Amino acid sequence: MPEPKQQENYLLETRDLKVHFPVYGGVFRRKTGKVYAVDGVSLKVSAGKTLGLVGESGCGKTTVGRAVLRLYELSGGEVIFEGKNISGMPESEIRPLRRNMQMVFQDPFESLDARQTVGDILEEPLIIHEIGSRSTRRKDVENLLLRVGMPESAITRFPHEFSGGQRQRIGIARAIALKPRLIVCDEPVSALDVSIQSQILNLLLDLQSEMNLTYLFIAHDLSVVKHISDHIAVMYLGKIVEYTDADSVYKNPFHPYTQALISAIPVPDPSVRKQKMVLHGDVPSPLSPPPGCRFHTRCPFAFGRCRSEEPDLLRAPGTECEDHLVACHLVNSEK
Amino acid sequence: MRLNPLTIKKIKRFRSIRRGYYSFIILTLMILASLFAEALVNNRALVVRHGERYYCPVYGRMNPGKVFGLDYDYETNYRQLQKRFKEEGRGNWVLMPPVPYNAYENDLREDRFPPFPPSFAEKHYLGTDNVGRDILARLIYGFRIAIGFSLLLLLFDFGIGISIGSAMGYFGGKFDLFFQRIIEIWSNVPFLYVIIIISSVVVPGFITLIIIMAFFGWIGMTWTIRTVTYKEKSREYVLAAKALGASDSRIVFRHIIPNTISVIVTYAPFAVSGGIVAITSLDYLGFGLAPPTPSWGELLQQAWTHMDSWWIGASVIGAMTITLIAVTFIGEAVREAFDPKMYTTYE
Ligand SMILES: Nc1ncnc2c1ncn2[C@@H]1O[C@H](COP(=O)(O)OP(=O)(O)O)[C@@H](O)[C@H]1O
Ligand SMILES: [Mg+2]
Repeated sequence: MPEPKQQENYLLETRDLKVHFPVYGGVFRRKTGKVYAVDGVSLKVSAGKTLGLVGESGCGKTTVGRAVLRLYELSGGEVIFEGKNISGMPESEIRPLRRNMQMVFQDPFESLDARQTVGDILEEPLIIHEIGSRSTRRKDVENLLLRVGMPESAITRFPHEFSGGQRQRIGIARAIALKPRLIVCDEPVSALDVSIQSQILNLLLDLQSEMNLTYLFIAHDLSVVKHISDHIAVMYLGKIVEYTDADSVYKNPFHPYTQALISAIPVPDPSVRKQKMVLHGDVPSPLSPPPGCRFHTRCPFAFGRCRSEEPDLLRAPGTECEDHLVACHLVNSEK
Repeated sequence: MRLNPLTIKKIKRFRSIRRGYYSFIILTLMILASLFAEALVNNRALVVRHGERYYCPVYGRMNPGKVFGLDYDYETNYRQLQKRFKEEGRGNWVLMPPVPYNAYENDLREDRFPPFPPSFAEKHYLGTDNVGRDILARLIYGFRIAIGFSLLLLLFDFGIGISIGSAMGYFGGKFDLFFQRIIEIWSNVPFLYVIIIISSVVVPGFITLIIIMAFFGWIGMTWTIRTVTYKEKSREYVLAAKALGASDSRIVFRHIIPNTISVIVTYAPFAVSGGIVAITSLDYLGFGLAPPTPSWGELLQQAWTHMDSWWIGASVIGAMTITLIAVTFIGEAVREAFDPKMYTTYE
């Protein structure tokens, strides 16, 4: 399937997105440093598609997701949503746009207000955006609940009366209440039992085809995004190291980090022997990311240039895939 | 609206803490009784039957003596009327409240000087103070004033504390810094001196005194609410509301404040006991409510100067002890019921 090239077809685009969190320390609570949580991320998500964003925890995925929705202040770069640059917009102008961009949170316990009934939680987006009257909203809430596979009777109950999976359904119902175009799904199944994960993933897939939703789908392991994504971006320490379509990631991973992530996926068939690539060491602190390629401290193939020069995200050599981008000196110098 | 099951659980837990629950019932009864103090402690009769008519002077108009066939125009002395009707034996009668004295009235004798010791015959159950006023009457009316004062002060303190504190915690930044400095300065102002200075210039009334006290009392609650707001603000449900497009005021009023209710409720009993102690000590020092307002502090002061009249001290100290212990037990139970993680000790 040929990828649409025109810019207008991207529902969401980030250009060199940066989010740095200031760190305060000392007696006077001065700014003593920065967490380079997201440090130059450029992504494109086509309408109706899913972009999977994968990386170890702490690498800045959540921050990307929240920055895209302007829930965090940007330190640099741009976010283009529906063709409009929303990076500098004041909150008053963003607010109406929030109808079209929503979020499903990782933690279904924390992200629902424990003092509200499920009915209140689901009615809130409709009240905020002044949709319908009290009676039509009630009907809408009932429909939302049914749509995500919850009983209508949930309306008068409180979040803590439900299991994690059910709560995540409520979170999803809240996200679709406004019929948005984009939903950032921040590890929506990581907190759930494995047995429930696929139910929730299927619900998300159903909703996508039904409502023509676009997903920025965040996960910390590739196995979850495998089935759901059209494209996959692999993130390491605030940067994108590889970007390609979902098939190429498995068939033809270039970046050593991507290869390591793939070899971490458990194989159901023990007779298939994979060459295991185990990463050693921890992710370096985003407070002072290593110079050069950020992955060089853990990369088995690192050589001189990797330690001093930061690799750009470039078209990978010798692939049939149109946009397969890799940020690795080893790969890119093979040209 | 359905009560949150978590709230129901907290109430159940509160009720299961016997000491606190019974204290709550006792204190509630005391407050209710003090609200109807006019019917319990009064020199006006509850019911008077005169001829074919019934009168209810406690909550009714002032009845001059002439109404009951007496020869004076000022307010009827119902205690005398009661005796008189009894002597006449004509079927007229007077029903007096259990304590037939008013908190302001000096029950003086010709042959003796007050204070009079407790006497059931004279219905001075706890005796009189040094100007012949019934102590029980003054205790009950004094309690009503003290508890009313504390509750109103609590309303002021919490009102200011919640609004400023949640704004500080939520908006942070310059606003927060500004009020932090204000609070630092404020809390260094010697509160008692200010009260002394003010009350040496004007005699503070009930509301004035509350305003002066609230002027200094808002700090504690503000600081607490600032801290909890700060904590709540960084929680994900707040971010979720923001992602929906909720305005700041919606987030604060609909999400953050409801989630800090348990902190507010936990602090309330301690604020009440603090208020009672404050008004009592100010009255004791003579900087509180103007005499002859019934007041525990003033009784305490009398007890101090009339050590030999033990009943004065015993009454007021007993009343204070009971009230403060009850409030403290309630506070303890509320705290335990609302935040078992932090305060329960596992045996
Ligand atoms: N609000 C914040 N203030 C300071 N540092 C933060 C904040 N949020 C995230 N970080 C830091 O930014 C980095 C990326 O975090 P996050 O985006 O949550 O990673 P991920 O979602 O990939 O696990 C982490 O090192 C984290 O500690
Ligand atoms: Mg995360």
